[in-house]
Amino acid sequence: MPTRAHLLSASLTLVAALAAGREARAQHEGHAGMAMDSTKPPPPANLVHVMAQAIPVVTHAHNTAGGRDLTEGYLAQWVAMGSGRFLQGHLLFDVTLNGEGLTLRRGELSTGAFGEGFVDRRHPHTYLHELIATGVGSAGPLAYSASFGRGFVPYGTDDPMMRPFEKYPINHHLSQILERGVAIGALRLGPAILEGSTFDGDEPTSPGALPRAGRFGDSWSVRGTVLPLPRLELQASYANVRSPEEPSGSGLDQRKQSVSGRFVNASGERYVLAEWARTDERDRNRNISVFSYETALLEGAVTVGAVDLGLRLEQTERPEEERLADPFRTPRPAADLSIAGITRWRAATGAVAFPGATLGPLRVYPYVELERLSASPRSPTDIFDVRQFYGSPIWMTSLGVRVRYGVMHPRMGRYGVALPAGPTLHVLGVDTKKPSQHVGH
Amino acid sequence: MRRLPVSLVLGLVAFGAACGGDSPSAPGPNNQLNSCPAAISQSKAMTVLGCGDFKPKRITGEINVRGNTAYTTTWNNASPTSAFYMWDVAGNVPTLVDSVTVTGASTLGDVVVTPDGKYLVVATEYSGGSIVIYSLTNPRSPQLVSRFTNTETNAGVHTAEVGVVNGKLYAFLCVDPGGGLNPPAKLVIVDITNPAAPQQVYSRVIGTPYVHDTFLRDGILFLGLWNAGVAIWDLGGGGKGGTPANPVDMGTVQTANGHVHNIWWLKDPVTGISRYAFVGEESPGSVGTSSSGDIHVIDVSNMAAPREVAFYTVPGAGTHNFSVDEQNGILYAAYYNGGIRAIDVRGDLGTCTDAQKSSPVNQAVQLCDLSKMGRELAVGLKDRSNAVFVWGVQFLNGSVYASDMLNGIWKLSAVSR
Repeated sequence: MPTRAHLLSASLTLVAALAAGREARAQHEGHAGMAMDSTKPPPPANLVHVMAQAIPVVTHAHNTAGGRDLTEGYLAQWVAMGSGRFLQGHLLFDVTLNGEGLTLRRGELSTGAFGEGFVDRRHPHTYLHELIATGVGSAGPLAYSASFGRGFVPYGTDDPMMRPFEKYPINHHLSQILERGVAIGALRLGPAILEGSTFDGDEPTSPGALPRAGRFGDSWSVRGTVLPLPRLELQASYANVRSPEEPSGSGLDQRKQSVSGRFVNASGERYVLAEWARTDERDRNRNISVFSYETALLEGAVTVGAVDLGLRLEQTERPEEERLADPFRTPRPAADLSIAGITRWRAATGAVAFPGATLGPLRVYPYVELERLSASPRSPTDIFDVRQFYGSPIWMTSLGVRVRYGVMHPRMGRYGVALPAGPTLHVLGVDTKKPSQHVGH
Repeated sequence: MRRLPVSLVLGLVAFGAACGGDSPSAPGPNNQLNSCPAAISQSKAMTVLGCGDFKPKRITGEINVRGNTAYTTTWNNASPTSAFYMWDVAGNVPTLVDSVTVTGASTLGDVVVTPDGKYLVVATEYSGGSIVIYSLTNPRSPQLVSRFTNTETNAGVHTAEVGVVNGKLYAFLCVDPGGGLNPPAKLVIVDITNPAAPQQVYSRVIGTPYVHDTFLRDGILFLGLWNAGVAIWDLGGGGKGGTPANPVDMGTVQTANGHVHNIWWLKDPVTGISRYAFVGEESPGSVGTSSSGDIHVIDVSNMAAPREVAFYTVPGAGTHNFSVDEQNGILYAAYYNGGIRAIDVRGDLGTCTDAQKSSPVNQAVQLCDLSKMGRELAVGLKDRSNAVFVWGVQFLNGSVYASDMLNGIWKLSAVSR
């Protein structure tokens, strides 16, 4: 039976499709996104950009949960994205609809992944992934913006969907906060950007879930970014998140820290990101920190001839929780505040993206990813027996095709004046017949 | 918690390790199986009589002992089939007798024998939550009688206690909150007087956000409501006109730091004192490694206005289930990584000197501190050579039985006064 969320999703998708039909002809490679650059003349007013993407992917996992070998196929990351600029650039809209709730109900096989009641599978995102309105203004050299809606909290790094690998890093829930009802204020002065936000701490409980109005404002974040050189970006951020995993607000709170450096060259053909993040879970009643999880990640991509190569190295700690009869699921909300241990994951992921091809109005970009993982308990007394549960070695291989209509947005996770200009990463698929352009630097 | 060394170099280190093999630095619990771990010297140590043969590969949950048979459940089976075990505990060393598998359950979080000893009730989690009732005509070979489940218990039955009210036998089911569109936590009361045909007589959404456990005595039901504290209901013994089908609220109390998990209302047969109930606070922990949460003593002499008067804390460990040797006034508390704590609970617990008072963590109020009052009599299982994580404990006929998530089952001598 279609739920209200399904109907909402379908309606919004239809609206996006109609908009695409009207506006897409105005697009071309490089006008992707609505990146702001206060040092440049404003781009043309009243611009609408739309994009739709789907990734049919087949994944084989060796020694995933329960020591199983599984091969599964899905339609992943199928999204319709739109952004618009109106009122001479003073009013911006970002919308992303995500259909994974229909095709990834069991989650996407991804050993090591965790969050929102899924483990060793990435959870599907919400149908209404992002819907943000932003007002932009300036006063002398100072540019400012205010954003409101559902979307990304100014914390951490870009959403993995806009990064070189289809498989999300394990640290997704340590390094990004998304799908929240959020109000953001942002200031930009030359190369410095400061953002602050307040939002609802509860994470989605299903693809159709909307932010709980009663919890809006119980959490906050701040992020500072500097751009010392063109396309070099350094950020540090902090978030205080109330009870993300227990919707009523009675669960553990999180204090999150993130620092990162990101560089992409003008053509998008060379990219590197280094990040560190830490989440401390706190017992609010006793006012003490009870668990902590750290992550360090280094990833890069380079275009070599006709192909793009990507490499990601990651060490991430994750909580182990009681598992349901389905070993890829954990109780949400949990029945208490305890965990079964902390596992330290190390993963090396390589990706090769091949040249794109045209299928009517669509572009297709095939890729292959290979990931090698290892896991060990952080404490030898943890009850979760990693070796018994997974076996060794742990591998994943994925073959997929990015199928796209329109041009990939260059970034995801920033709004208004907090969005530095820059190109789409070449590894994600860029039409080489239309050299990548970009707004700003 | 230990911090990671972090730098960009770490990424390269991670890469090397990822390609080098998967070798946990220390053995997991299933590699620690041995006979009975050697003891080390420990003051006030309870005497260990024996440990189970540790054959079960599953993680041990709750324990219940009746006569010479102990029943232990299993937790976090990560499969649609769980099991519970029967142990012969006639001798000092518990011996595994047999097991029973339970389908449609990944965890069996509670087990209890009915007061008449005729039936065994097992709680199942998660989806398809239920209680399963077995006949104990042969206590070593339980036979399935019935299984009770409905939409209200579907999220999972966390605990199930049983007791008699006005001649009828009831089960009190603490149901987990469900996710998404599923309902919040609730208490469900089931008439199991005819165990072949259980009948639900009552349910109520309750708990913030959980209801974790109940304690029934003399027609009065105590409920552990997590951050909503303790509630006391009249089911027929409180003089308020309540029944199991129509409970009447008698009173509530918030204990320090919430997280109310379990309760034991003590009626001391020697002193006649019945003014104290003991409340277990289950604060966060990592199973096998750490735990937190204190024991809170509430004065229920006026059940309309109970109040906390004392507490007991163990640094670095947290409490779980209780059992009380009421004849001797000794409470045994499972304390996870803190082993077992034997506490003198006889007499006046709410009167102490200023020097015997402390504040629970993150609280300003000064309460009698049972440790400072010298009421900790003994400590069990902290003298073992390997780690323990004690879930449940039961006093019975001069012995104390403990279920240990890491190691299985222990039998110890009860403490004498």
